[in-house]
Amino acid sequence: MENISFRTTVLPLSDRLYRLALRITMNRAEAEDVVQDTLLKVWEHRNEWEQINNLEAFAIATCRNRALDIVKRAGRKTENLDEMAHFSSQTPQEQLEANEQISLVRRLMDELPEVQRTIMLLRDIEGKTYQEIAEMLDINDTQVKVYLHRARTKIKVKLKNGL
Amino acid sequence: MDYKYIEQLLERYWECQTTLEEEAILRTFFRQEDVPASLLPYRQLFIEEDEMAEEHLSKNFQNKMLRLVGEEVPVQVCKARKVTFMRRCRPFYRAAGLIAILLTIGNAAHQSFTDDEAQEPQMAENIPIDSLHQITIGQPEQQSAELTSQPIDTLDVFPR
Repeated sequence: MENISFRTTVLPLSDRLYRLALRITMNRAEAEDVVQDTLLKVWEHRNEWEQINNLEAFAIATCRNRALDIVKRAGRKTENLDEMAHFSSQTPQEQLEANEQISLVRRLMDELPEVQRTIMLLRDIEGKTYQEIAEMLDINDTQVKVYLHRARTKIKVKLKNGL
Repeated sequence: MDYKYIEQLLERYWECQTTLEEEAILRTFFRQEDVPASLLPYRQLFIEEDEMAEEHLSKNFQNKMLRLVGEEVPVQVCKARKVTFMRRCRPFYRAAGLIAILLTIGNAAHQSFTDDEAQEPQMAENIPIDSLHQITIGQPEQQSAELTSQPIDTLDVFPR
């Protein structure tokens, strides 16, 4: 078994965990807190690392659950990241241009149900196989494909019809 | 150009029948600017997914995590450069050189000034006798005649 350490095995997952937490919480500060909690949780289980079959899947599952907890506890629907941009230092014109240019797909993705959004992120952005996603979300391969198909179809229809 | 292959791949992509490698081909295709109009509406999807993949935490976050779990935080090490004794003394050599140059210039200036002063007695010796007559105006004519008959170095030009 390869040598597992926090620095070389766990810490490199932080950006991937951050992107997942960000798409669930829709808040950068909360996403960072979620990643911190997740990494500390993984660290607490360091004596079991050798027994855990897939440490990345464990970290992703922990991160997702933690992010969903935060959203649930706050009693809010996941807010669109682009709406948060209104509080940024950009002028309204700059915001409009930036939103028009780069946020079309993000907005569509953020409107998807959480499980579809997470699966689309893990497949299209993180490049995970269906089996890996199934393991991370504790569902089977077929379910992964069904959710992903629904997500892609929604995006396709909206893009084809010019949103 | 024939885009049939890409169109087929895209159809399979929507149906979740593509492999990760085929999806990478689609991503590469849509990164280029020259995309046919029929495929243009879908370009934004792949472009923005690429951008989303670049979102990351700050470097400080990793250091914070390492501190939280009690691991050593990597310190940025500045590579020490070996400095020889001669190299270390170089500023002193420069200062000493500068002082030496200034002293040389100062001495030369002083020397030239003192040389001018030393030439004055010699100049006095070369004063024509006639001019001495002018100096002794007010003295009796006879005395003046005596003076002219004396050797120049025994003359008492200025009355005491």
